[in-house]
Amino acid sequence: MTTQPAQTDPLLDVRQLEVVYNHVATAVQGVSIEVRRGDIVTMIGTNGSGKTTTLRAISGFLPAEDVAITDGTIVFDKTSIVGTMPHLISRRGIVLVPERSKLFETLTVQENLHFNLTRQRREIRDKVLGYFPRLAERQSQVAGYLSGGEKQMLAIGMALMCEPKLLLVDELSLGLAPIVTHEIMTILQTINRDLGLAMLIVEQNAAAALGVASFGYVLEGGRVVFKGPAATLMQHQDIKEFYLGGGEGKSRSYRDLRQYARKRRWWG
Amino acid sequence: MELLVSIIVLGTTYALLAAGIVIVYKASRVVNFAHGELAIVGAYVFYSVAIMMPGHSLPLTIAVTAIVSVIFGVIVYFALMRSLLGQPTFVAAMVTIGVAIIFKAAIVVVWQSKSVGVNLGRQILYTYPGGGRLTAVDLITVIAGVLFFAAMFGFFGYTRLGRQFRGAAENPLLASQRQVNVNLILALAWGTAVFAASLAGVLFGSRSMLSPQSTIIGLSGLTAALVGGLDSLRGAIIGGMLVATATFITARLIDPALSEAVPFAILLVVMCWRPWGLFGTPEELNRV
Amino acid sequence: MAAGSPYLRVSYAETNRIFPEPYQRVVVTAALVALLAVPFFGSGYLLHLMNLTFLAVIGAVGLNLLTGYCGQVSLGHASFMAIGAFVTAILTNLYAAPFWLAVPASCIIGAAVGFVVGLPALRFRGIYLAITTLAMHYAIIFILTTYQAKFGSSATAGISIPAPVIGSWQIEGGRSWYYVLLLTGVATVLFGLNLSRSYVGRAWVAIRDRDIAAASVGINVTRFKLLAFVTSAALAALAGSLGAYFSGVVTVEAYTLELAILYLAMIIVGGMGSIAGSVLGAVFMTLLPFWIEHGFDMLPPNWRLGSTSYGLQEAAIGIVIILFLLFEPKGLIEIYRRIALYFERWPFRYRELSPAERR
Repeated sequence: MTTQPAQTDPLLDVRQLEVVYNHVATAVQGVSIEVRRGDIVTMIGTNGSGKTTTLRAISGFLPAEDVAITDGTIVFDKTSIVGTMPHLISRRGIVLVPERSKLFETLTVQENLHFNLTRQRREIRDKVLGYFPRLAERQSQVAGYLSGGEKQMLAIGMALMCEPKLLLVDELSLGLAPIVTHEIMTILQTINRDLGLAMLIVEQNAAAALGVASFGYVLEGGRVVFKGPAATLMQHQDIKEFYLGGGEGKSRSYRDLRQYARKRRWWG
Repeated sequence: MELLVSIIVLGTTYALLAAGIVIVYKASRVVNFAHGELAIVGAYVFYSVAIMMPGHSLPLTIAVTAIVSVIFGVIVYFALMRSLLGQPTFVAAMVTIGVAIIFKAAIVVVWQSKSVGVNLGRQILYTYPGGGRLTAVDLITVIAGVLFFAAMFGFFGYTRLGRQFRGAAENPLLASQRQVNVNLILALAWGTAVFAASLAGVLFGSRSMLSPQSTIIGLSGLTAALVGGLDSLRGAIIGGMLVATATFITARLIDPALSEAVPFAILLVVMCWRPWGLFGTPEELNRV
Repeated sequence: MAAGSPYLRVSYAETNRIFPEPYQRVVVTAALVALLAVPFFGSGYLLHLMNLTFLAVIGAVGLNLLTGYCGQVSLGHASFMAIGAFVTAILTNLYAAPFWLAVPASCIIGAAVGFVVGLPALRFRGIYLAITTLAMHYAIIFILTTYQAKFGSSATAGISIPAPVIGSWQIEGGRSWYYVLLLTGVATVLFGLNLSRSYVGRAWVAIRDRDIAAASVGINVTRFKLLAFVTSAALAALAGSLGAYFSGVVTVEAYTLELAILYLAMIIVGGMGSIAGSVLGAVFMTLLPFWIEHGFDMLPPNWRLGSTSYGLQEAAIGIVIILFLLFEPKGLIEIYRRIALYFERWPFRYRELSPAERR
């Protein structure tokens, strides 16, 4: 396993996070993640591996939700944010683009984009429209009727309007054509380069995520089973086998596969 | 003409009541069964404040009552409704019923069920050929209603807080993740709603005597809100006007005693024919 | 029951018993004997209170079957009771119907009305259903008010009912009513308990928790929702009919929305979805105003509030509803369960581990 190079001051430092739903269902058990300033970091993993829950825990839970962080620490910009209300966390600079219901569907595109517009943020708005010119064309349309790709663009634009220091993106590729996913991923990379904005991207489409990220984590069964620089992950035999599809291009014997399955379970 | 004016005046009162119910419903998916009680208590507060104010100054009374009613709303939210977020709407509705009982009892305890009226101005502005009169209160009612709804439409349509309010109503979690304090939004909703209720209550009390039984106007407000659609502010106006029209026509043409039955008769018809209301969205039926 | 632990159950029949633990059977038998003995030494005032409580128990069990088990919120319970009372009044006055005929007839008509009121439940859930039943309540009360104004002795005096006669036994006075109402109350509770542990009760609970899922496992949602309304309305009408006989007079003014809310308060306070909870809630809410009155009587005379005590009694209902919903949403029965669990587990109490211990 590759170890991440030691850091003096990561932007986001999650340690031994444990999240429990309804007092009984442990979704995340002991996840540790670091995001450095200006980096794009990705978390990949299958359904139910705890990626979304980790992001949700970082961005905060409403008191009405029956879920709790039972253990671990989340430090953002040297301050602990465990147990902080979501709106305070987002004011600190962590902004999440959720997996589902990522925009206000009954509001128009412009209203969504202007959701927290202030005089100082007009510049950002213009920048967002520069990144996503398609949004400018659809200003007066109701957001619920946008196409999947446009919704994703609007959601990212809305998030940028909050002046984030760290952007969390959950399952960008969900329901999108691969070409659109690629397009938006590229724009994210541009934004990262232009603004120096750190990002934590959660993906099932591991190839797309590892393409833009510099560092990656693999989650399984609520635990981090693998981490390393994106290039290393892409070359790794297991990652290729499980997440990138195909591997060497020829399928192995049933016996080998069984062994891998056993290995995975041992980690998870 | 005279009938039309009466309908508009009564309709405005109902529309204001419905608006309060709609605002709370939109924000938190809670149907406020205490609305009539809040309205009448607001009117009683106005009555008491008017007595206490030096020189019975009307603007001062209005300001104090407005502040008191907004504070009532904010207190109801923070003391009771906030801890019910995420609970089934039935529970929240039962709590509003509890609030209704307490406020109704407050009229008995604090004001000794006294039958009182509120004076906003009884000058006669115009006498119709038939002998009916247009009074200052009628004019004030319509002006207050127009101002309130204009303010609300302006607020929801064109301000940032209004956008955030609508966003929080649709998806509180996302609004929260977009730097909006949802608690504040909901408190604002309750404050505005109780303000609207008090306004309606005062306008009601300036035309007829107040008593604990007056709280039944909450049913008219609820009916008006349902006719228009529980999630539509526009619907509140139309609903208020329709309920007022039906009440007046029944009273004039059929039988005055029957007009009491009009609100719930309309309620039944609406529930059978178009339960989401004229301007509401059908999906709401499955949200609560 | 398997030897060894009294809590080990090895068959469905054992878990399905009305009183699974031996001590419960002892307690219930003792309570029944005590209840039977009350009239021999209780005062008339006590008997009157207990009679009111038994009536409330019948109504509360009915409402709990509908709202607590089947999850259909009804604000129309008072109107079902009014139907029961008025049908009884009409049958006894116009047709001189005997007790044994008037009561079942009231139940049947109440059930029919419940069927009609329940029809909207096929279309609505939750709050919208509650609003519909609210409208139904006002509609029914309006019709009854019109009837009372036209056919009653006067618009406000109501309709009087003669004391009922069974065979040669005239039911009059607190003691005879006590036995009639005790018998009916116990029968209603047993009926509710049996219903709740049968397939009907399970279907209701399934519909309450998720109607679509219930339909997908083969429960006829339409049928069971209507059955819940019919059963509940029949029991409410039974309470209304007996209440009418008991008080000897029927006035529509007694069946206000506040009464429907009072019954909802009973099942909230007692415990939604629990027959024993309905009994506890009925007892609590029926006695609450009397407790408050006694509380005031104990205050020094110059502290007493006179007419405001009525307002405070009313307010107490609202306060109790809110306090229970906020702090003990599962009701009194949950408090009982906690106490029972404490003793069952004693001395092995369950304790949550601190994070340090879990490591």
